Amino acid sequence: MTPLITPYTPVSRFAMQMGGLYAIWLREVKRAVRDRGQLIGGVSRPLLYVLIMGIGLNPYFRGEIYGEVKFVVPFTYLQFIFPAVIALNILYTSVQSAVSVIWDREFGFLREVLVSPQSRWTILLGKVLGGATVAMFHGSLVLALAPYADIPLDLVSVLKGLGLMFLLAFALTSAGVIIAGRIRSFEGFGVFSNAVILPLYFLSSSVFPLDPSLSAAQMRVIYPQWLVAMVEWNPLTYAVDAFRGAFIGYHQFDHWMGPVVLAAMAAFFFSWALYEFRKA
Amino acid sequence: MNMSGSDETPAVLIEGLTKRYGRTLALDKVSFDVKRGELFALLGPNGAGKTTMLHILCTILRADEGRAQINGVDIAKDPLGARLNIGVVFQEPSLDDRLTCVENLNFHGLVYGVPAYARAKRIEQMLAVVELSDWRDRLVRTLSSGMKRRLEIARALVHDSRILFLDEPTVGLDAQARDRMWSYIRQLREQHGLTVVVTTHYIEEVEGCDRVCVIDHGKVLAIDTPAALKARHGQELLRVTPRDAAAGAEIAADYADRIVRHDGEIVLRSDGDAFVEALFNKYGPRIRRLAVEEPSLESVFLSLTGRELRDQAASARDVTYAFGKRGGEHTK
Repeated sequence: MTPLITPYTPVSRFAMQMGGLYAIWLREVKRAVRDRGQLIGGVSRPLLYVLIMGIGLNPYFRGEIYGEVKFVVPFTYLQFIFPAVIALNILYTSVQSAVSVIWDREFGFLREVLVSPQSRWTILLGKVLGGATVAMFHGSLVLALAPYADIPLDLVSVLKGLGLMFLLAFALTSAGVIIAGRIRSFEGFGVFSNAVILPLYFLSSSVFPLDPSLSAAQMRVIYPQWLVAMVEWNPLTYAVDAFRGAFIGYHQFDHWMGPVVLAAMAAFFFSWALYEFRKA
Repeated sequence: MNMSGSDETPAVLIEGLTKRYGRTLALDKVSFDVKRGELFALLGPNGAGKTTMLHILCTILRADEGRAQINGVDIAKDPLGARLNIGVVFQEPSLDDRLTCVENLNFHGLVYGVPAYARAKRIEQMLAVVELSDWRDRLVRTLSSGMKRRLEIARALVHDSRILFLDEPTVGLDAQARDRMWSYIRQLREQHGLTVVVTTHYIEEVEGCDRVCVIDHGKVLAIDTPAALKARHGQELLRVTPRDAAAGAEIAADYADRIVRHDGEIVLRSDGDAFVEALFNKYGPRIRRLAVEEPSLESVFLSLTGRELRDQAASARDVTYAFGKRGGEHTK
């Protein structure tokens, strides 16, 4: 009798984990590419923010405070919000990739992976890398609008930007996995994601600057203390600041803070997600 | 081949396995072993602990007490090594329906460390076995539920699984698809020396198995070949449908020591025509229906658990419906 199935020698355990990592990553990317809705969101969001809101508010960005004309930030409004729109696109896509975690659980695919000889660590890393790749791609879609926002792109700034985008995407996808682990239904997730994404975004100094040239007294007149505190405590603020540093060379905070906060976020959220995932 | 242990090592070894969900005892010190190459069936009503047992063996769940080995590998000490040797087909589908058939199988091959030279070949071979070669590039969401099940069996064998766990593999399939499913399993078992552990509630499927383990309320009630089970626990049963509740109560009181089950219909242990005749003479006019049942696995099950397999069949369908209501793939 001829053997029904080709025999083989299994690869080493390390090679198997790497193969698994690749397979899980590839699946996330393939699913995202086939999901038209997600892609449309990734294209329409930057158009809305850069072309409509950005161009619309552009003339009002330089204002007058108590009869004194102030240049709030030495950039046009379009230039100012452009890096923040990249962060917004990554934020949406990362959190959305967490939906796929709920999806996998509901539809049983998670079990297929859990009974495989892959470690929990590899499974989570593959999943997060996959989601982060897609989110980074959506973030870089915004770069296509750079000419309309007068952002000069060169190789160094793009590479720096991509690196920061990846860090942010990695951190936020891990956070999304944590959230997904605690939410039981798709409906709940929709409500939750809007309740988290938009406040995070608007409180990240994305659409308005915290003017560094204002004195503390002036700041208090213009912005209430609670708003300033929330912006300063929001980790996304530093991500947006890092993006601004890469693309328009403008920082509201120390140069090193953005990358450091991003790296810390990535490490922290991934460890937390791994802890939750092992427990489950 | 990744084989640990000699041919003497049982494929599955379970000792004193216990699992609690809060207060309920899902598994109560369960012990048994499955020999190499055996077709082993777990038979029991819903909630008996079959699926819990399978999930522990696949290391999705952790047992509270006891130990288990797969091919001589302790599942608590080396879960990854234990998982390397098994193929699993769950009760509910676990395919990615946005990938094609081939992509699903390729994912599986990669995750299980099947090297590239064998992966592509094995995928085509397995697709041929379950007769899905023409559908290889179709998205899984476009397949019927029967095809999905076949694809899942194919997937479980893309890697060298020594042991195949099938949790209700034929639920939701029509009779023809069920027969075909079993012919694939038999074919693979013969050619590969595969060990198969299956949970099912279709009595005709259990008949063909090497050994059957009857389990209820987390306890093993009996474990033997179908023939031996019938010989030992098989009982001629008498099904009596009384005309009214009063007659039912009277019969039940009269034959209290023979009752297997009483809920409208009364099932009694019979020991030949004389007993049947005596009952008929006494209660004849007050009985609507009287039926004698020859010893079968069905009656073995009933006399061991006091429950009908038919109840089980209905509730298993409910499980599928419930899954569909949650947005499962059976409804698409």
